[in-house]
Amino acid sequence: MVEKLFVQGNEAIGWGALMAGCEAFFGYPITPQNEVIEWFSREYPRRGLVFLQSQSETASVNMLYGAASTGIRALTSTSSPGWALMQETMSHAVNAELPFVVVVVQRGGIGQGTTQHAQMDYTTATRGGGQGGYRVPVVAPASVQETHDFVQLAFYLADKYRTPAIVLTDGLLGQMMEGLEVKCLDFGPLPEKDWALRGRAYHPDGKRRAHICESGLVPLELHVLRTYLDYIAHWEAKFREMERNEVRYESYLLEDAELVLVAYGYVARVCLDAMDEARSAGLKVGLVRPITVWPFPKQVIREQAERGARFLVAEDSLGQMVEDVRLAVEGRSEVYLLSMLSRHVKSPSGMILSDSVLNEIHRLLEKVGGRR
Amino acid sequence: MNRSLVYGGDKFNIRTPAPLHCPGCHHPLANKAICDAIEALGLVGEVVAVWGVGCAAMGMATVNLDSISTAHGRALDVATGIKRALRGKPLVFAVMGDGDCVAIGAEALFNAAARGEKVTGIMINNANYGTTGGQMAPTTLLGQVTATTPEGRSAESTGFPVHVPEMLVPWKGVTYAARGSVHTPANFQRTKGYLEKAFKKQMDGVGFTFVEVVSACPSDWHMTPVDCLKFIEEKMLAEYPLGEFKDVDTIV
Amino acid sequence: MTARGEVEINERYCLGCGYCAHFCNRGCIVVPGDRFTPQGYLLPVFVNQEKCTGCAMCSWMCPQFAIDVYRHVDAGAPAKGTPKGKAKPSK
Repeated sequence: MVEKLFVQGNEAIGWGALMAGCEAFFGYPITPQNEVIEWFSREYPRRGLVFLQSQSETASVNMLYGAASTGIRALTSTSSPGWALMQETMSHAVNAELPFVVVVVQRGGIGQGTTQHAQMDYTTATRGGGQGGYRVPVVAPASVQETHDFVQLAFYLADKYRTPAIVLTDGLLGQMMEGLEVKCLDFGPLPEKDWALRGRAYHPDGKRRAHICESGLVPLELHVLRTYLDYIAHWEAKFREMERNEVRYESYLLEDAELVLVAYGYVARVCLDAMDEARSAGLKVGLVRPITVWPFPKQVIREQAERGARFLVAEDSLGQMVEDVRLAVEGRSEVYLLSMLSRHVKSPSGMILSDSVLNEIHRLLEKVGGRR
Repeated sequence: MNRSLVYGGDKFNIRTPAPLHCPGCHHPLANKAICDAIEALGLVGEVVAVWGVGCAAMGMATVNLDSISTAHGRALDVATGIKRALRGKPLVFAVMGDGDCVAIGAEALFNAAARGEKVTGIMINNANYGTTGGQMAPTTLLGQVTATTPEGRSAESTGFPVHVPEMLVPWKGVTYAARGSVHTPANFQRTKGYLEKAFKKQMDGVGFTFVEVVSACPSDWHMTPVDCLKFIEEKMLAEYPLGEFKDVDTIV
Repeated sequence: MTARGEVEINERYCLGCGYCAHFCNRGCIVVPGDRFTPQGYLLPVFVNQEKCTGCAMCSWMCPQFAIDVYRHVDAGAPAKGTPKGKAKPSK
């Protein structure tokens, strides 16, 4: 069934979850994504699906951890301050290898910050804010349709690799309204969840199932007494496998680009406009839009650097994704940053608009000339 | 002469290469009472156990039930997620130490109780934080010397011991709140009975149930196991009376 | 008189806590002080075997599941208060 709606990005999260077969939502109100929990409160109970408003974001993510351990798909949605409260349990879930989806609708920080959009949680999403240093798939939509689509993609990646996964969006995408085709997307086959907890009577081999988040501390016969380093090596291998297989991005006009814009989310749409305008003015500009900000599309960036292109990273933060671009470039070329200090107005509603990007493109290409 | 086993064998116990509890620890005794209650109710294959951190987590490795371990203070939230995800079907309980339950775990405890969540909280009260070396817990007795109260706990700077089942009585979502111990055979059996009741109310879908188990920690009380039994009888029970504080059949 | 019960203490799992000896009210378990488990804990010993009723309190109170208690089948009705066990041989 394909239904066409005109909805906010926040609502599209709900439709995407429903299409993904997500059976449970646990969440807590926080601006600018309150429409999400309200959607689930209306739509889930009447479909016999689980909805619970918990007492905090910490509680929400722990309820997800529990629900995921039973094999069902479960989701929460939050904004930046709530995301901060989830870090410890994200780390525990990576350890216990439990799949669930967290939608982070970014808002301005630092601290309590603003209630409007920003892109300031890139680092904690892609590097993990919890203990140990782990990686989880992070997908970044740039439209209402993509919000719905990428919630389903996130569930697929979560189940495929037995990991939590993040949908990284922002208050602008959450609040704006666009057309949405509600449909179930199939990303491929997934393994059976024979590890799910239900009670010993339900496992065909009669053996109990267990999930431990303290691997290395308490020995567990099901893990055949692997050592702590075995666990570490296992997680490392998983991160590397995701890096090899799950990079997704879009690129435009790279073949002859002298300056490559790199942006995600709403800023990527702004950069598309700026790129078109620059091209009309004869400037050779291209764009790379990461869809997975983790694993980051390092390869295409590196290829462009080797070609001699320079990079302008535009992001609504003080500079977080720019570090990933610099890492990928590895000193082969220059990387410039257009940060949130270039927002069009100084209030919380300020955005990075195409004028700022275009001006910076002109400034850079005139200053440094053509290819190096 | 023919003989039949009255009690013993491995039952629910999983043997680990090295023991995970100290000599005389009451965590495994409490786990035994839990499993005996499960067996008495005929629920053996229908249980998901949630284990808190610290010595409670050793239950993960030593008790033959579907199990999950948790972040500190979050066991009752995890239990909520499991119970709701499985639409109430299995028995779900959370075994927590005193701090895991009512210090960092207070948020989860209060809200599970307030919501009348159909799970059972089990708090092992040994008046200290054992795994980390015996620091003060919310349930440490006044005057008790611990690793962080070297002069003995004083009410003036650290307040008073916390009584959890009594505290839960007025909460409408709470259907059963009891305190037992496992320091004598009679109390072991009585606590098993409290747990049976708590589990049964959960399976009947009534509301939140809670059982505290006053327990010994020989290592951090710096006593022999048998002396711990005396400390429980004389000092712990004076502060923490045993019994059922709330036992109702409906909450709505 | 013939014993009604019989206690087996598994020295491999015993941690020498002494609860079994403490709770046997018939003096059937003692800790002699010169017997040790392979790990070096003080090993309790089943003595005065003819007095054992198979009440199983020692086994209930053993935190390490190191004690199996049997009832002799020819010995008559179980004592009051003892739980029913399964007729399963120990390891």
